[in-house]
Amino acid sequence: MTVTLATLSQRTGLAVLDHLEQSVSIPVVDGLQAQGDLIVIPLPVVASSVRVRRDAGWTAVASGGLELLRGAAGGNPHTLVADPGTCRWTTGVWDSEGLAIGVFAGSAVVYLLHPEHGATGCTPGTYVVRRQREHEGHRARFVAD
Amino acid sequence: MQREAAEIREEWLGRALSTLPADRPAAEAAISGLYRLIGLDPPRFHWVSSPFAALHTVPPGTRPRPSETAGDLFEWALPPRFTSLMGRLCQELDAPVRWLHRPMDDLIRREVRDSLSRSAEGSLLLAFVAATGEPNHRGRYWYAAQCVSWVAHYDALRRVAGVVFDPEHHRRLELWATTARSCGWWWPHEDVCVVSERPVAVYTEVWGDDGEVRLHCADGPAVRYADGWDLYAWHGTPVPSWVIDAPSVQRIDQEANVEVRRCAIEHMGWPSYIRRAGLRLVASAPDPGNPGSELRLFDMRTRTRVLLAVNGSLERDGRRRRYGLTVPGFFDDPIAAAAWTYGLSAEQYSLLVRRT
Repeated sequence: MTVTLATLSQRTGLAVLDHLEQSVSIPVVDGLQAQGDLIVIPLPVVASSVRVRRDAGWTAVASGGLELLRGAAGGNPHTLVADPGTCRWTTGVWDSEGLAIGVFAGSAVVYLLHPEHGATGCTPGTYVVRRQREHEGHRARFVAD
Repeated sequence: MQREAAEIREEWLGRALSTLPADRPAAEAAISGLYRLIGLDPPRFHWVSSPFAALHTVPPGTRPRPSETAGDLFEWALPPRFTSLMGRLCQELDAPVRWLHRPMDDLIRREVRDSLSRSAEGSLLLAFVAATGEPNHRGRYWYAAQCVSWVAHYDALRRVAGVVFDPEHHRRLELWATTARSCGWWWPHEDVCVVSERPVAVYTEVWGDDGEVRLHCADGPAVRYADGWDLYAWHGTPVPSWVIDAPSVQRIDQEANVEVRRCAIEHMGWPSYIRRAGLRLVASAPDPGNPGSELRLFDMRTRTRVLLAVNGSLERDGRRRRYGLTVPGFFDDPIAAAAWTYGLSAEQYSLLVRRT
């Protein structure tokens, strides 16, 4: 079945902005992808700096999706969407850069949906989700778009 | 249930940020009732136009002890007595609820009480602290006691969970509820109570998962009282007025506070700031995963450079938003700088397949 923004929006009940193309099939990509202030990285790419803790608890991603991070000023979450039973998520992660918010493992395509940025698909696999930082004075701050 | 709780939260948030003139008779009656509960006669009332005025004026006919002139509230005799009064009331109201309505109580605590506390801290209390340096750590208890959050919690238990409090508890809660919805903050002395009017303008935006708000206004003060006392804020950060009214490259360059600088630049817009400041382009490179877009690295100030990037998705007007990200000054390669923002190497970031 072709998955479009309209399909995902309907499945999760999350609205997307109407100027985004609703009916085009969402590209499914094998590799690194960025969505605004988040990046999705195949775990093997950063295996030297990110590890899933042995005692990590995993949550199944339900059909309504799982909210990863909310943008600035209230709205606009980045949401993981997958067919029930095909994706699990954990925040039990160690990251030497301190940017990982968690890791998801999908046995089928997993989508990342955002009301302003649209959606993108990840081929089955295990991925790290990291936030973006910027340099401020002598420290780093998280970016929130 | 969650929706009803959220509605009650919004109701009380409206009262907390109300810009209506105080209902002075109602406030004076309720505060007098609270004085009686700690065994004192009702005080005289001295109304002031803003919390700022309350800290800097002395009520007529009184000669306060030196410790009472400034804002070091907890040198005062009465606030601790009122906060323990409030603490005891909460304990007594909690006792039956914790057992019988535990899940509902937890929901309301999260959705209503904690959210309202954070909203109050991020709005009027933040403005007060930013302007006066008050209150100190201990003084905050007194402002927390006057916060709508805990009153709203028990109001929600009554209305959503159908909890019935006995008449005496109900009466005492109502005294606090009435003060919370009738006036601004109050500062009790034994014979006189200083009470502040509410602001005449408050501008906020929602930022939290549970409806929390913070101060934000892009074209004027975010909080203003009738006596002209005001505070500017950009997405929750208190800023000097020039950041909003007259942001300029010169002022940004002279500003020592990095957060204030960022707010001013965001208000001006990164592309506009880079152009007006005449920042030197260090290098540019195609943005991996974002066809047709460039990453451009500019020299900004000592040990800082700025990466001007382009959004992966279109805005409503069909254009792509450009935004600046500050990066450490040692980067010469825009790809390496962009990679750093995600904790990656240039080689890893150049594998980026898609940006949305």
